[in-house]
Amino acid sequence: MPPLPDKGKTPAATASTSNTTPAPHNPIAKVIWDGSIPIQFSWDKAEATAVGSNAVESFFYEAPRCSYFSLLTSHVRKHFVDMALHFIGDDAEIWYDYEGTPLKWHYPIGLLYDIHGLQASAGRGMNGSLLPWKITVHFQNFPADKLIKSQAIDSCQDYFMSMIKEADYLRNGSTKKVMNLSKSDQTQLWDGLWSNNYDKFWGINHKLTTNDNVVARHLPVRIYMPENCPVIQDLVPSVDENNQHRTLRQVLNQSLPDIFPLVETGTPVATAMIHGIIPSLDTSVIWASQNMSYPDNFLHLVVIIK
Amino acid sequence: MSNVGTPSTESPPAANLLQETPGATTIDSAAPASPATVMANLRRRGANAKVVVRFKGVGGVPVMKNNLFKITGNRKFSAVIQFLRKEINYKNSDPLVFYVNSAFSPAPDEIVGDLFQCFGTDGTLIVNYSVEPAWG
Repeated sequence: MPPLPDKGKTPAATASTSNTTPAPHNPIAKVIWDGSIPIQFSWDKAEATAVGSNAVESFFYEAPRCSYFSLLTSHVRKHFVDMALHFIGDDAEIWYDYEGTPLKWHYPIGLLYDIHGLQASAGRGMNGSLLPWKITVHFQNFPADKLIKSQAIDSCQDYFMSMIKEADYLRNGSTKKVMNLSKSDQTQLWDGLWSNNYDKFWGINHKLTTNDNVVARHLPVRIYMPENCPVIQDLVPSVDENNQHRTLRQVLNQSLPDIFPLVETGTPVATAMIHGIIPSLDTSVIWASQNMSYPDNFLHLVVIIK
Repeated sequence: MSNVGTPSTESPPAANLLQETPGATTIDSAAPASPATVMANLRRRGANAKVVVRFKGVGGVPVMKNNLFKITGNRKFSAVIQFLRKEINYKNSDPLVFYVNSAFSPAPDEIVGDLFQCFGTDGTLIVNYSVEPAWG
């Protein structure tokens, strides 16, 4: 970065003038933010064997649930390059799979774990620990038919900001709140996520998620069914026709009435998971959205079939 | 449309296009479908509904004479991208950015029917395209 022309102000002092609001005290959001998953990254056996490096040690990393694989790639690459790998490609060529399923780099890591780890193992009737989560790293043969091929590793930031805007649009009918953030606020939002700094991220994000006592038009919610079903994104009003807060059950019933009846008469066939937790379906969806959304401001509900 | 000055933010009347949208009242006497049936139906969700996409070029991009196209609701947004690239003869390597409602860029794996349901305006899904980032 070139030096600032105004030598009287340090960059830090300049930044702080636009950012006077600290992150609001929210123990729930903090616990969600601090959630992490221990991951064991192993180099794809075929790739390693092809270059005679089949004894390369795994890389262990405790990844924030709210982070993205793209943000770990430089650490992962460095480990394997230090070990044996000769890699001159772009980091955007590097991809990950779990048990043969390529993992979407534009989904948060915690969501991927809940879908491909917990949801899938519940479907097979297994309940043993999956940790550390065993991920295979590939440096070749990017599966462009299954994963979005990004132009560069920093595409993750563009996708993330787009999700933030999509969430803003659902809440407010426009992306005005995001667009009204200053350039340095937008940078701080991403930097906070990238550097796993809760105060930095929430210092800005609360401006997007607090609605000045105006009820959000719709809440950003996505529902994930097992076995690679299409993701469900319906319009989710936050209150019902009587202006009462809707519950998670009502939201799930709206999209999946057969497996989430409003009144449970027998043994439930399904439940929903957020950040690896099974919340009560009587939880208000406004509360869940405010406290348990991922940093992209979507509430990602992973359906577990019992 | 007579009310030109007032942008409509209501759900478009053409929301009926997606008649299979879950949430429709189920008949009380019918037994609930099993999870397997629900998943099978979900894979077909939107397959019988057409979404009308209205393309709007921004900046120096080729503009189409006819800019309204129908696409099946269960297709991914990537299909919209590929279709438009073909129409205006832009290779995959030619830079092109897509937006919905001049507001945000959906990921290529988002479902067209869901985008229409959530962001449709006056019965169409408005997709803007530009050679360089146009909004934020």
